[in-house]
This record gives sequence, structure tokens and C-alpha cells, in this order.
Amino acid sequence: MISIDHVTVRLQSRVVLDDLALSLTEHRIGVIGDNGSGKSTFAKLLNGLLLPDHGTVTVDGFDTRSDGKKVRSRVGFLFQNPDNQIVMPTVAEDLALGLKPLRLDGDVLRQRISDTLERFSLSHLADRSAHLLSGGEKQLVALAGVMIAEPDILVCDEPTTLLDRRNAELVMKTIADLPCTVIVVTHHVEHLDSFDRVLVLDKGRISHDGAPDCAIPLYLGPLS
Amino acid sequence: MIAGLYLPGDGWIHGLSAPVKLGFMFFTGLTIVVISHVSVMVLLTISVGFIFSVVAGLGFKRLWLSTRPLLIWVLAILLAQLWLVSAEAAVLISLRLVTLVWVATLVTYTTRLSEMSDVLAAMCSVLRPLGVNPERIAFLIALTIRLIPSVFDIVRDVRDVQKARGLERAYIAMFVPALTRLLRESDALSDALTARGFERWGDKR
Repeated sequence: MISIDHVTVRLQSRVVLDDLALSLTEHRIGVIGDNGSGKSTFAKLLNGLLLPDHGTVTVDGFDTRSDGKKVRSRVGFLFQNPDNQIVMPTVAEDLALGLKPLRLDGDVLRQRISDTLERFSLSHLADRSAHLLSGGEKQLVALAGVMIAEPDILVCDEPTTLLDRRNAELVMKTIADLPCTVIVVTHHVEHLDSFDRVLVLDKGRISHDGAPDCAIPLYLGPLS
Repeated sequence: MIAGLYLPGDGWIHGLSAPVKLGFMFFTGLTIVVISHVSVMVLLTISVGFIFSVVAGLGFKRLWLSTRPLLIWVLAILLAQLWLVSAEAAVLISLRLVTLVWVATLVTYTTRLSEMSDVLAAMCSVLRPLGVNPERIAFLIALTIRLIPSVFDIVRDVRDVQKARGLERAYIAMFVPALTRLLRESDALSDALTARGFERWGDKR
């Protein structure tokens, strides 16, 4: 469970998130809002990539400020641009990087990489140069690179923004099938229909919070 | 030698371990320096070229592509040596340069960056008593090498944008957006590494 207790975040003098207080317990949570509403800042708070100026964020009781490493071993993060996330030259090597903290032995490591590649239908790309893949393939490699470490929670920061419709749907379907808790920050509200809860951020505050069929129309307003 | 240009393959050179390949490169480098007969050097160059293109299965086209950027330098050295020393010295030093680049490229094309990084980590492990984390050092070196093409991509993108705006020779106009993008990218990379557990590498299990 993620608990956000009266959190305020300022970037320079601007208040980006303003006194947020909520608990995230659902299996599928979507976060939507206009540009500059604080969505990405909110996402980065959840695994301690960004620390609040006031208040606390805890994951399963671990404070992101004092137990950042423990939090990050539980919360995986998928970035908008896979090029920033894929570090190693080939797909298999990049997956191995996600397992470095576990210091697995050679055979166990290879097996885990092979299993993960198979799970995400990426086996045929194992030795391919990751940066020469298509956008959709890259995002799946980035996702596999996070999921190989088996986090309990996955936070995705606009994972489909750079993708065409077909690849966006493929990535979202893959994310939807994951067994772990998933929190998705997105502009593509159509991907959140099956989610348990949707948070709408507006100027750093939660303006709507509820089931998708309730929160999304309120966010879209007269456009819907 | 630029790591990160690994070409997948199943030849026996691909199967050799990284320390063996790096040892081969080191040994060849030493041998090249010791050889003083042109005929022996020609033989060694042909052998390395054969290993590169046939034994490792990388082909003659790649051999040529790895030689082409060198030609201007080889020509300059050849002419300088011809003028200053002798024809024999000119040929010898030119062949040395070409052979060394072929060996380094062979190792680059057949060795994964992660294997190279493991060798670097093992070499840096002597620094562990001083509180240095060899895995991090090796990774940072490997990452730096790996990011060289990305930096070139960013500079090329910015240059294209400035060209489109008619600012082809405005180097300062190029420098600012390129630097801004590099800083933004490095920030994103730093976040990604943190999120992927880089800070936990040195931790004991």
C-alpha cells in the first residue's frame, strides 16, 4: 500500500503538488490531468525519485525519504521515453542490468532473462541492439527490464505518449496483464476504462477521485 | 575500439571469453611493436584480416568499413615516414596501425559490453580495499563509451534544426540547445538508473 500524507512539492517557487493526502490500495490506478498539473511529479514521488518538501510518502510502511532503496526495490518505474531507460546495448544485456542488485549466479541469471524475454514475447530480440528497435518494442524492452526485478508495484509515467495507436494498445495490454499493482499516469484516458480507480490532478490537487466511469467524464467535462 | 557495437554471432571467436579476447588484443599489440621485418608484418596483417573476416564470420565488407576511416591517417603517416625515414619503415608502421585497429574492432564486434564491463570490474577489484566499488567504476566506463553515439545523435539533431532555420554556421546557437538537451538526457538517465537499482549494486546480500 502507498500512503501519501499531506504532501507538498515545490519546484523552485512554484507549488507543483499541494497538500495531497490519500492512500493507494487498488490493483489498477490511473492518474490523469492537463499538462503541468503535477502528474509526473506525483509519479516520481511514489518510488522516491523525488522527495516531498512537506509530508511523507510511505510504501508498505517504508518512508521514501529514509528507506529509498527499499522503496525502489518494491516499486518499479517505467518512463515515458524508453531511450532514457534502456542503458545497455543489447536487449538481453539490458535485462541483466535490472538483476544486478540481486547478484544472481550465471545460470540462474540467464534462465531468468530467458523466462522474462519469453513472457514479454521478446525472445527473438535478445541479441538485437536495443536502440535500433521500433518504439513499441523499445517500450516493451523497458517494461521487461523493470519487471525482471519482480516489483510489487509498477508506476508508469505516460508509457504510451511516444507510441502510435497500435503499439500503445500493445503496451497497455501487456501492462494490464501484469500481476502486480499498476499505477499509470497517462493522457490516453481510453486505456483506463478497466481500471479500479482514477485520480484527476488539477494544479497540484486531486480534483476528482473515483471509478473511471465517474472520474473520466468529470475530467473531460463538456468535451466528453 | 568502441564497446557497444557488438554484433551477435555463433562463431567460435564469439564464444571465447572476454579476458581471452582482450589478452589476444594485448598480445597482438605487443607482437606488432616487436616485429621489424615487413614480410612478417604483412603475414600478421593478412592473418588478422583472415581471422576478422572469415574465422569470426564478420566478412570482408566490415573489414573494409573498419579500415576506410583510417585511410587518410595511414596515407599521412606513410608519406611522412617515406619522406623522413624509409619506404620499409613507412610500410611497417602503416601495417601496424591497420592491424591494431582490426584486432580492436574484432574484439569490439564479438564481445558484449556487459562481458567487457565484467573484465573491467575484475581489474578494478584491487581498488576495493580503498572503498571503491569496482562494479560501479566498470559500469560508468562502459556507460560513457556506450553513450558516445547518443551524444553524436543529439548534436546531429540540433544541427539539423539549426540548418532548417538557416543557421548552418551559428555554432553558439547550436551549443546552447545541444547542452540543454544533454543535461536533460543525463538527468533522465540518472533517474532511470536510480529507479533500476543502481544505488543497490554495492549492497551486501
